[in-house]
Amino acid sequence: MDERRRGRTLATRWGRIALLIVAAVAVFVATRPDSTPAFVANGPAIDTPPPGVLTDLTADEFEGVLVGLRGRPVIVNVWASWCAPCRTETPLLQRTSQAHRSDIVIIGVNSRDQRVGALAFMDEFDVTFTNIFDESGEIRRRLGVRGFPSTYVFGADGKLRTTVVGGLTEQRLASIIADVTA
Amino acid sequence: MRDYGLLASIAAVLAVPALLVRPWPPQEPDWRLLDRVGGSLAVGLIVGRLAALAIDDPRSLTSVADLLVIRSGVDFWPGLTAGIAWLAWTEHRADRRPAALLGTVASAGLVGWAAYEASCLLRDGCPGPISPIGLRPDGLIERQFPVALIVAVAAVLVGWLVDRARRRDLPDIDSIIVAIGAVALIRSIASFWLPHVGTGLTRQHLTSLAIFLACAAVLPVVRQRRTRTAS
Repeated sequence: MDERRRGRTLATRWGRIALLIVAAVAVFVATRPDSTPAFVANGPAIDTPPPGVLTDLTADEFEGVLVGLRGRPVIVNVWASWCAPCRTETPLLQRTSQAHRSDIVIIGVNSRDQRVGALAFMDEFDVTFTNIFDESGEIRRRLGVRGFPSTYVFGADGKLRTTVVGGLTEQRLASIIADVTA
Repeated sequence: MRDYGLLASIAAVLAVPALLVRPWPPQEPDWRLLDRVGGSLAVGLIVGRLAALAIDDPRSLTSVADLLVIRSGVDFWPGLTAGIAWLAWTEHRADRRPAALLGTVASAGLVGWAAYEASCLLRDGCPGPISPIGLRPDGLIERQFPVALIVAVAAVLVGWLVDRARRRDLPDIDSIIVAIGAVALIRSIASFWLPHVGTGLTRQHLTSLAIFLACAAVLPVVRQRRTRTAS
């Protein structure tokens, strides 16, 4: 009898915990912030920096690169060598840049970092796509980066389509690519 | 937007089976079940994350920060194996039959997995192949067929079938093999439609296929051996 009562108490406890979790999930969904993007690249178009090296660019020049790339979808990944999920997603981005060389352009933006660390990181992962060194942090500020890594997806029309804060999964990245290249 | 979807998904994995156990208790009522499943889930997450790091970026294994970012990838099968092993070990230590508990949690585990897959709605908008029927993940223009929701429905269905079969005396070991084999088969089929980078089968796809084939080979052997022992 005691065992049964104890069982019921435990079940009630789990039931309450479950209800609390469901309520928390409902609040999370209801209060989910709007992810409408705001950044728009402006200014004169400039050439894309060479791939596989870390190029110093100002925020205006970075916007110029994006303007120059209009007509092709662009994925901008803001990273730092100290950022844990950046380590996981860099091989994925490298693989993607190779697999979709003709469809999309991937640009890395290294920010809030030391040049030496960034170069060692690129060397470690054999990064061959274009990378920009954001020494002043102005590119990060203009993009409105709220965490590392952050990924910004621009359509072929140059409009910012979506932003992913935090590590990218292969599935998420592949679905984004399918969407921007459709 | 900062993504708390994974956290919400893990909450759903615990909450949905916990809610179901109240009106729909397992065949052998063991109210401490969910306490033990919580530990198994934690072990599965840690081992799954370690396996993902060991395969993708072994140099990260020494970094606690890297280990904690489970959003960056948790290998499903090593995680599931570790979770099952943890449950079996705790039962064995308590002088109980591990197979009895594993058989009991098989259908609840399938429902928990279904909850995780269905919570893609909170995580990444359930990506899939571009299709006129489907959902539009956040920020995307094209509709994508929500493969994970179909996976969730299939997992619930198999969970229900396993529970029914257990109530009609399907042995514990058979329940475990059927449940694992069903997960592997569902994942194998779904992997054909899930978006991935490049061509060819993904590691997850190949592993699921191998595990399904192993389960399909082992089940008749187990049943045959049981019949032989009985006669």
